[in-house]
Amino acid sequence: MSDVVPFRSPRARAHESTALVGMIIFVASWAMMFAALFFAYGMVRSRAAAWPPDLLRLPLGLPALNTAILAASSLALELGLRAVQGNRARVAGALRIGAAALLGAAFLALQTVVWLSVWAGGLRADSGPYASVFYGLTWVHAAQVAIGLVALAWIALRAARGTYSPARHLTVRLWTIYWHFVGVVWALMFVAVFLV
Amino acid sequence: MNESSAYQDLQPIHPEPASFWRRCVFSTDHKVIAKQFLWAGLLFLLFGGLLAMMIRWQWAYPGEKVPGMGAVLSRSGGVITPSAYNTIFTMHGLIMIFFAITPIMIGAFGNFCIPLMIGARDMAFPALNMISFWTFLVSQGLVIASFFVQLGSAAAGWTTYPPLSTQIGTPGTGQTLVVLAIFVTGVATIMGSINYVTTVIRLRAPGMTYMRMPATVWGLWLTAILNVLFVPVLGSAALLLLFDRAFGTQFFIAGAAAVKGGGDPLLFQHLFWIFGHPEVYILILPAWGIATDLLSFFARKPAYWFKGSVIAMTAVTILSAVVYGHHMFVTGMNPLLGQSFMLLTLIISVPAELLFLNWLHTLWKGSIRLTVPMLFALGMVFVFGLGGLTGLYLGTVSTDLYLHDTMFVVGHFHYTMAAASFLASFGALYFWFPKMFGRTMNEGLGKIHFWGSVVFITLVFGGQMLVGYAGQQRRLYDPYQYTFLAHLRPLNQWTSFFAFALGLSQLPFIYNFFQSVFAGAKAEQNPWQVGTLEWTLPSPPPHHNFDTIPTVLRGPHEYSNPEVKKALGRDWIGQTENLPTGATSGAVAGTGGE
Repeated sequence: MSDVVPFRSPRARAHESTALVGMIIFVASWAMMFAALFFAYGMVRSRAAAWPPDLLRLPLGLPALNTAILAASSLALELGLRAVQGNRARVAGALRIGAAALLGAAFLALQTVVWLSVWAGGLRADSGPYASVFYGLTWVHAAQVAIGLVALAWIALRAARGTYSPARHLTVRLWTIYWHFVGVVWALMFVAVFLV
Repeated sequence: MNESSAYQDLQPIHPEPASFWRRCVFSTDHKVIAKQFLWAGLLFLLFGGLLAMMIRWQWAYPGEKVPGMGAVLSRSGGVITPSAYNTIFTMHGLIMIFFAITPIMIGAFGNFCIPLMIGARDMAFPALNMISFWTFLVSQGLVIASFFVQLGSAAAGWTTYPPLSTQIGTPGTGQTLVVLAIFVTGVATIMGSINYVTTVIRLRAPGMTYMRMPATVWGLWLTAILNVLFVPVLGSAALLLLFDRAFGTQFFIAGAAAVKGGGDPLLFQHLFWIFGHPEVYILILPAWGIATDLLSFFARKPAYWFKGSVIAMTAVTILSAVVYGHHMFVTGMNPLLGQSFMLLTLIISVPAELLFLNWLHTLWKGSIRLTVPMLFALGMVFVFGLGGLTGLYLGTVSTDLYLHDTMFVVGHFHYTMAAASFLASFGALYFWFPKMFGRTMNEGLGKIHFWGSVVFITLVFGGQMLVGYAGQQRRLYDPYQYTFLAHLRPLNQWTSFFAFALGLSQLPFIYNFFQSVFAGAKAEQNPWQVGTLEWTLPSPPPHHNFDTIPTVLRGPHEYSNPEVKKALGRDWIGQTENLPTGATSGAVAGTGGE
């Protein structure tokens, strides 16, 4: 790691601060959306006679593995961001961000396996409130992962092309915040939907 | 000056794009986007207004042919059928709230006023701003499309309560498209609001402290904060409803429709009103801000206890997040919870009253100039007073039990959300029109528009309150089939006549607007003689707004200051103007703003 603080013009620094303020506001907004979804979950569950119904059990192993995968992905992206900030964007940065994207793709793939196996096990989207919560919440989250994935693949490519430098990597920073947020939401979802 | 010159560089001047498409259609210029929102909003205002006329016709002459609507209602021979009626009142509400007031008040004036009034060259994220408008346009397209699918548009009421809004209550693609449109317009609103909040935090000119921001910007900013936090809640409600409609999930379906154990229709009401109560303040806060500014500008007096008004508006913003339960007193809520919501609701009247008293104090002994914008601001204060006071009956559990779901509620929220918001929007339009379009609107026609609007709007919604107090439920297709309501027919008919007169009163505005946009007299730079930053710019302002980002020295409401009069020979001073030191009377000619 280099200790030299790269020179950035006051304009660039002001632009960065503005973008970060915007990002924080965006995350607050999106957090409210998930708060509302969890509220819905809580209310539907409190009204249900049995939870889960009919001795039905959602798989635990794969989602737990998936939680670890998303955590690893977040970590890889954070290390990628550090690499970009340390002027190692082209190789280390691109590889780590690429790894984060691959882990994200693995998450989606495994999530699809979970959906298919649960579906095959007889729990369909229209099988009642328990299924509604399981599918509804995971769908919304998966859509967020998919958006993040496209972005990560894109910034990994751009990192490999040498677009980013210690003085110029705002996009990577913003998507790192987004991706951590997606990870935190998943951790909450894993506990709420699968564990308890 | 050093700070200011360093500041110039932070917001670079981008040259105006040369191509027509980038300049006028896919523009990132907040002033162009503001006009786009204005046109889109006014168009849907007309649409929503025509739907209102049809509702009023139905309540005056239920089941009789609607004059001039034979082609639209051809299948029923010109008569409004019960199902068409459901669509009409549903879409009137949704269009007015999400596709007319929101784009005009927040989309047009938020976009136009915020950067100009805080001394910024554009929004913080100009591209996001453009995407916000085009996303909004998609949602309007979805609304229009919903009218052309089988079974017609949405018909579950603007509140879209399940089970009525589920596939069981309202089958057909129309309702789905409209729920999708609500989601999409929510995304557009969030994008715009992130922009507004960030712009105010980050791009205020040097010296533009929060307490020197015009009240209009305060109102729009607080509204944007509420939008950022509470529109996502509506978004999730819309999303879950879409899942229920499209994929068979059962968040909101219960009872016989839910074979394998159901969700809870009440859940939707919770989500809807967690958003919905902030929403009514989302629509009124900019109106309060605009009125606070306009009353001061045209009473030629500083806004009375401006800081207090700001504190009051902020207090209302915070309280609005914790009162939503008063919409659900009759849903079997725990009485203790109902009492708590009642208490919190009634507490809102304290800051609202403070704001109201500040308005009256601002007017007190002012040299009032009854220009068209001022008239509209006064009209807004008047109808908001009526709407606010009648809200107390609905916020109190004991009276709400009787008044809930009657026309009294309809009258109340029309006074606040419709009358107050629209009068303030019109005031804003007449006020900023010269700056927006560089042309002047006709004052005489404006006054005709004002008197027609304010008199008939008061009578229409007053009539609604009276029939509601007499027990008429809202949304009835033909109220007179109930014998206990039959005697209300003359009152309803008179209300309808006033509504038609209200509709006709908008004709001078439509003529005036088009005539002025295309052929109005060229506007001066500062026709109203006010001191906020936008009036230091040419009309219309250049692409980058400020050649030099100004340094702000004082608040927005410096009027009739004797020192200023002595030094500058006029009753106002701009926010950036330096009062010449040691100036003697009449020695210095005014420079700023001329």
